[in-house]
Amino acid sequence: MNGATLSDVALLVPELILVGMSVALIVLARRIKNTPIAATGTVLAALGAGMYSFWAVSEGTQVGFGGMLILDGYSQFFKVLIAATLALVALLSVRSHDLEEVPRGEYHALLLLASTGMMLAVSSLDLLTLYLGLELMTLCSYILVGIAVDRPTSNEAAIKYFLLGSFASALLLYGIALTYGLTGATNYQAVASVITGQGLTENPLLLVAIGLVAAGLAFKIAVVPFHAWAPDAYQGAGAPVAGFLAAGSKAVGLAALGRVSLTAFGEETYVLSLVLAGLAALSIVVGSIVALAQTDMKRLLAYSAIAHAGYALMGLMAGTREGISATMTYAFFYVFMTLGTFGVVIALGERGRTLDGYKGLARQRPGTAALMLLFLLSLTGIPPTGGFVAKFVVILSAVRAGYVGLAVLAVACSVISAFVYMRVAVFMYMREPEEPAPSSFPVAVSAALAVAALVTLIGGISPGILTVWAVSP
Amino acid sequence: MSYPVLTVTTFLPLAGGVLILLLGSERLARWVALITTLATVAVSVPLYRGFDKTSSTLQFVESRDWIPNWNIAYGMGVDGISLPFIFLASLLGVLCIGASWSAIQTRTREFYAALLVAETAMIGLFAASNLFLFYIFWELILVPVFLLIGVWGGPGRVYASIKFLLFTLAGSVFMLVGMIALYQALGTLDFRALALARDSLDSSQQAWLFAAFLAAFAVKVPMFPVHTWLPDAHTEAPTAGSVILAGILLKMGAYGFLRVSIPVLPDAVQLFLTPMLVVSVVAIVYGAYVTLVQTDVKRLIAFSSISHMGFVTLGIFTLDQGGVEGAVLQMINHGIISAALFLCVGMIYERTHTREINDYGGVAKAAPVYSTLLGLFCLAGTGFPGLNSFVGEFLIIGGAFRTHALLGAMAVWGVVLGTAYLVWLYYRVVMGQINPGLEGLKLELNIREVATLAPLVLFAVCLGLYPDLVLSYLRAPVAALLAGGVTP
Repeated sequence: MNGATLSDVALLVPELILVGMSVALIVLARRIKNTPIAATGTVLAALGAGMYSFWAVSEGTQVGFGGMLILDGYSQFFKVLIAATLALVALLSVRSHDLEEVPRGEYHALLLLASTGMMLAVSSLDLLTLYLGLELMTLCSYILVGIAVDRPTSNEAAIKYFLLGSFASALLLYGIALTYGLTGATNYQAVASVITGQGLTENPLLLVAIGLVAAGLAFKIAVVPFHAWAPDAYQGAGAPVAGFLAAGSKAVGLAALGRVSLTAFGEETYVLSLVLAGLAALSIVVGSIVALAQTDMKRLLAYSAIAHAGYALMGLMAGTREGISATMTYAFFYVFMTLGTFGVVIALGERGRTLDGYKGLARQRPGTAALMLLFLLSLTGIPPTGGFVAKFVVILSAVRAGYVGLAVLAVACSVISAFVYMRVAVFMYMREPEEPAPSSFPVAVSAALAVAALVTLIGGISPGILTVWAVSP
Repeated sequence: MSYPVLTVTTFLPLAGGVLILLLGSERLARWVALITTLATVAVSVPLYRGFDKTSSTLQFVESRDWIPNWNIAYGMGVDGISLPFIFLASLLGVLCIGASWSAIQTRTREFYAALLVAETAMIGLFAASNLFLFYIFWELILVPVFLLIGVWGGPGRVYASIKFLLFTLAGSVFMLVGMIALYQALGTLDFRALALARDSLDSSQQAWLFAAFLAAFAVKVPMFPVHTWLPDAHTEAPTAGSVILAGILLKMGAYGFLRVSIPVLPDAVQLFLTPMLVVSVVAIVYGAYVTLVQTDVKRLIAFSSISHMGFVTLGIFTLDQGGVEGAVLQMINHGIISAALFLCVGMIYERTHTREINDYGGVAKAAPVYSTLLGLFCLAGTGFPGLNSFVGEFLIIGGAFRTHALLGAMAVWGVVLGTAYLVWLYYRVVMGQINPGLEGLKLELNIREVATLAPLVLFAVCLGLYPDLVLSYLRAPVAALLAGGVTP
């Protein structure tokens, strides 16, 4: 292993763009008085990083930093998705009443750093870089959750998230250590070749290691039973931060799990598949049912996110390239529809917090209600929305993998969650308004909603565009 | 003319709906909706003029790449079975606008937009030539109908709309799994290709797939015992919603049997034949008895649909040429008659604001034209010779007697009960002394309302006197369907 060369650095351009903007925002933090400047900077950095990632892959797969990082279609896909998440969250943060007292420079700098960690995690080809990327993301997330220092709920959420999060990080690290102890390697491909070379597939320690790595990543994805942090963290955090965690953290966890399970532990498909099937089934059932009882929108969306994480895992469970590409499709649409939903919650301000606030929205703001209906239908999985395409591909891969029972369970639970989402629609369309109409939104919020709605709708009508692109490593 | 007729017919209403939302004018909404639905009928004319009745193949086929890497195409095409439904859907689309003209006073823009989206889904479902597209339209219709019931419906509308949505969704998610399993097994979702490749499914696979599709179709039809959403939804829906539900939505499930279950899963059809026939007859008789005791006019007509749709599924599962032809004809007939009855009820409800039968009586004196038309539709519903239902029921019962005589005999009992509840309804509403509560109300229909009902009168009479109008379309495709190796 030699020192990093210039071509290695080229792999990190998107991350460097984000870090650069982040440093600039921190330096200028005291001078930034109004939000739009910080948000604009963040959106520009996200666009730069996203566009660079989008075009960079035309030069083919590149591995750098001694096999630690990789640039391929898979990492490109997720980097673009992370950049989109970052840009949408930055737009949505422009006027969120949860975050009014928050110093803008630091807030956006943390968003940028967390996204940098996400990008590192999705492009890592080594358990250690994966860990570093995830930790960078998680550490920034702890602060983001607790950034509204004057609100006790925000502090409480941050502490809970931190305690459970560090526990999960320890699990992941322990899994990595065990893997290293057994195979003497942390690089995915090296781990895989040692496992096959030394016939470790039956080794119980390896199974423990795989279980620990899967558990650590399951925490980031927030699947049952590693989900306990999510409802509290989402509820206590500002709505844009909750959206960022729901969309970004989940996508990254899925990306990492996908690559690890296919590359490093590809020989252990059967074990992983059973573990993932169990996690998926639990998440879908628990998420759908517990969401029924929620009246706080952020908590409701948190449980919905847990259920969706379960659906997304159904792709990985198959352990095949098609399955991983199904999960990629799921993650893609999930990010946009969930950020769209959070966007409406944010746009409505104080009213958006509880279910009751949506009463009569269709009378007062028919456009906003229609957008929310679109996102809810997509979350339910009703065509022609992206959510339907996502559900179609993951159920297809579950059926292909022979898990027909799980597929039936998943669709049965989607009827339960239909009730959850349609209850919001009932409040919007079939009840009389009780509160004055919400004030008009800033352009940035409307723009974010429009982008999310367009992707959800166009992706649903012509999924061909995306499916060509969602190709597993 | 050279335009993709089916695509234009399907998506024109959607375009009209979007236009209504964009225009932002509450006053213009109904005019735009009326023009759109009339234009939809107009652009569909080449379908009827250019259709070859002697052929059982799909006609006006359109196929375009849609999701190439999944081998799923955007495919449209009609045969003699689907064509009458496209006509019915586009006709009822116009009449729904007529029925809502003065009844809908709040949020008219959204109302007409929802109505038009529903029309697109109804037409598209019957025009789709592959299962994927079929499924998309199948689910798409849930949303506008959910809103139509829940926003513009009666007092129990929210409960009814949620119940409707959850019931139908619970059925259709199993169809989703079934569709995916079919796709996984056969690698295609095109209806014709599925039927050609069906031999590679073994009989247990077929049975499971049949059960999955049955879950979706049975809820939509609705078959006994998953019919309980129907009375609530039909009763609480606004008139236009009831017309869509009774006229088209109920036909979607029966059409699914003809399009998917019978051609693709013949072994399973044989396996499930007896239960399906028994459940159909139970629906006929049980539905009729429950109808007899209803005291709410709209609820009565809603329950009668369960009985009538029992005839349809009975006819389909006789797997007899006459029985299946009769079933399809009866679907059209029921679409016309139940739509007409719901329109009649809606028109008088607009004036009296009551649906209790006891609040009516003696309407004939105040509204002779209305009473005449209602009488005609009630007679048509009972299967009176010379009116449309007679032919359909005759063919179905004939088919049942040829294959399962006992079930045929029980179905005849359903006809008798059907006569009883409709004639009794007519007697209580129209005959006798005028109910004091109705004094002073202007009950007679206006020109717009007569014009709304007129096409239905025309078709009820024409189909009664000359059923070949529809039957001639059905002969070839039904023969081909049954010759697919499933005739007992």
